Amino acid sequence: MIRLFFVLLIGKIIIFFSRLFNFGNGGTWPGEIALFLYPDILREFIRKVDGEVVLVTGTNGKTTTAKMIKNITVSLSKSRGQNITIVHNESGANLINGLISAFIQKSSFIHNKYDYAVLEVDEAAIRPVLEQIKGLKTKFILVFLNLFRDQLDRYGEVDAIADKWVRAIVNLPKTSILILNADDPQVAFLGKNDLFDTVYFGLNSNIKSYSHLEDAIDSIYCPLCKAKLFYKKIFFSHLGLWFCEKCGNERPITQTNNYISSLLGTYNLYNVQAAAAVGKLLGASQSDIKLTLKEFIPVFGRQEELYVGQKKIKIFLAKNPAGLNAILYTVLEMRPKNILLVLNDRIPDGRDVSWIWDVDFEMIGKNVQIITSGDRAFDMALRLKYALKDNKNETKIIIEKNLERAVQRGLDMTEEKDTLYILPTYSAMLEVRKIVSGKEIL
Amino acid sequence: MRVSLTIGWLYPDLMSTYGDRGNVICLKKRCLWRDITVGILPINLDTSRKEILNSDLIIGGGAQDRQQTIVIKDLTANKATVLKKMFKRGIPGLFVCGSPQLLGHYYMTGDGTRLKGLSIFDFVTKHFGHNKPRCIGNTVGEMLNSKLETRNSKFKKTIVGFENHGGRTYLGKNVEPFAKVLVGYGNNGEDGFEGAVFQNVIACYYHGPFLAKNPHIADWLISKAMEIKYTKMIELEPLDDTLEWQAHDYILKKLNVRL
Repeated sequence: MIRLFFVLLIGKIIIFFSRLFNFGNGGTWPGEIALFLYPDILREFIRKVDGEVVLVTGTNGKTTTAKMIKNITVSLSKSRGQNITIVHNESGANLINGLISAFIQKSSFIHNKYDYAVLEVDEAAIRPVLEQIKGLKTKFILVFLNLFRDQLDRYGEVDAIADKWVRAIVNLPKTSILILNADDPQVAFLGKNDLFDTVYFGLNSNIKSYSHLEDAIDSIYCPLCKAKLFYKKIFFSHLGLWFCEKCGNERPITQTNNYISSLLGTYNLYNVQAAAAVGKLLGASQSDIKLTLKEFIPVFGRQEELYVGQKKIKIFLAKNPAGLNAILYTVLEMRPKNILLVLNDRIPDGRDVSWIWDVDFEMIGKNVQIITSGDRAFDMALRLKYALKDNKNETKIIIEKNLERAVQRGLDMTEEKDTLYILPTYSAMLEVRKIVSGKEIL
Repeated sequence: MRVSLTIGWLYPDLMSTYGDRGNVICLKKRCLWRDITVGILPINLDTSRKEILNSDLIIGGGAQDRQQTIVIKDLTANKATVLKKMFKRGIPGLFVCGSPQLLGHYYMTGDGTRLKGLSIFDFVTKHFGHNKPRCIGNTVGEMLNSKLETRNSKFKKTIVGFENHGGRTYLGKNVEPFAKVLVGYGNNGEDGFEGAVFQNVIACYYHGPFLAKNPHIADWLISKAMEIKYTKMIELEPLDDTLEWQAHDYILKKLNVRL
């Protein structure tokens, strides 16, 4: 008890100074130091949560989905006239140190009780997190959104992550509930062992779909018998109405599938279904959920809109092939005139930029002016050259390594009341926000 | 004379881990920009030997562990003889990422299982388990073999790329290394060599879109393929590779390589 008090005190002091001197918003450091002083601290914090602990993981959509769930929880308690404490790692710091920091920020020294926790967890960190909570009687809701290929240098192969998830969930108490994406074969597989109550979400078959798979896709093999999977419909990447001819394994029936998204893109439809599924479990009414989702404001860098005079900048964080493909489809539907692609190769982006060759830039067509920027502006321009140049046309790609100048150039080319679309990797997204709005994260 | 080329792409479904298809895109475009008709032949589990023989150039990428087992079984049973015959005839090939592991005498996995390889190259690959760190990072090499020079593109001895491998490869006496490592790990992090060259086949750990930033190697593969197919040297039309070399030189600069 006294130990927790001191660790909290130190954590709070770090947050205070880190904000005072503008070192950031205290997303990870307080947690890192608390973890060093008190290795079981996450377990202690989670033990003090009265209501549900919702953990959201997957390759894409974690930050947006967790925010939606948080909003639903807030409106639920308002409708019940309660004043509640929700622990939520809003800044997207989703490793163990980030989760601990979120708890420290929400703690007071006198009364250390939390009503709910809504936390996004890095897909590779879910196993160490669940190992920490082994034996607790807390009510857990685990959301698995999707699994795409991502930074190979950090996460390893997709199969390796799927394997970690299977091993991780056995640590959960039997009362836990899994919320699984039925349209993603490897995610749906987590419900196969019947260890927990499971809610499946997915898309309705009347959503726009494709008849062929993109080239660079993952898990098109049956998680049960390893045979190649077939699809009745593909919504995007490897997500769709899948089935295995060999063993009869197929996409499970979904319980949540018809909520509408206020954000663009098929990928956000999935986030919405997942958030709604959690909302229903927490006891929110369908109309409340719908209203909250309708009023949802995008989180930083994810379809976030910023204004520079009469011109709009719309930022779409894009950090892996499935994400960037989905975003390109979405952005191209807006008939953009100017797109700025920013590719960095720092640790949060992944040092290996090979992934851009798995993106189908070929879909961009001729009428869009592209600017590339970031550490790897040349690599991005080269990828675009091989996607767009044919014998007759020389596609003009503007390369501007300096990001500030690139944003300025993009704005100069954008007409009044029109939109400049910026598609940056993670660290590039923070830089873009700093340039345009003066703030990196929140 | 209207010329054409068929690129045989080994297991596009099973062996395409991280941008590996970039090499096929790159070769295809560099042919099309020169008005060379180009066809891609996906070589899958059910592709026959006769069909494979239509390829003028063979490309292979990396596979996840699960897929690698399927691939090696099919290669040994159905495709090894024909591929070996083609390579002996001089058909060029490029194997990147994990695929070189399949072409040596054997690949020993982390748990000690020995997967028999195709013995196209005189080398062996061993994985020492997950306690030995993977070889990951940007890498630069200096090519050792003068036969890899091309005349139609600005030629540089350097090659640049990204490596990410757990296996470590040890060359035998009957194979030449592809390059000397200037920055990075190379085959095993010990002897300072990267990859291997046998006849006109290149194997290297550089993964993903290796050819885009190394247009000299891309053109060498294309001209070799033409030479074998048409039994004469065909001069390739030079392309504007300014951007390719800018991207290449950026890596040299980033890694402080001066030549």
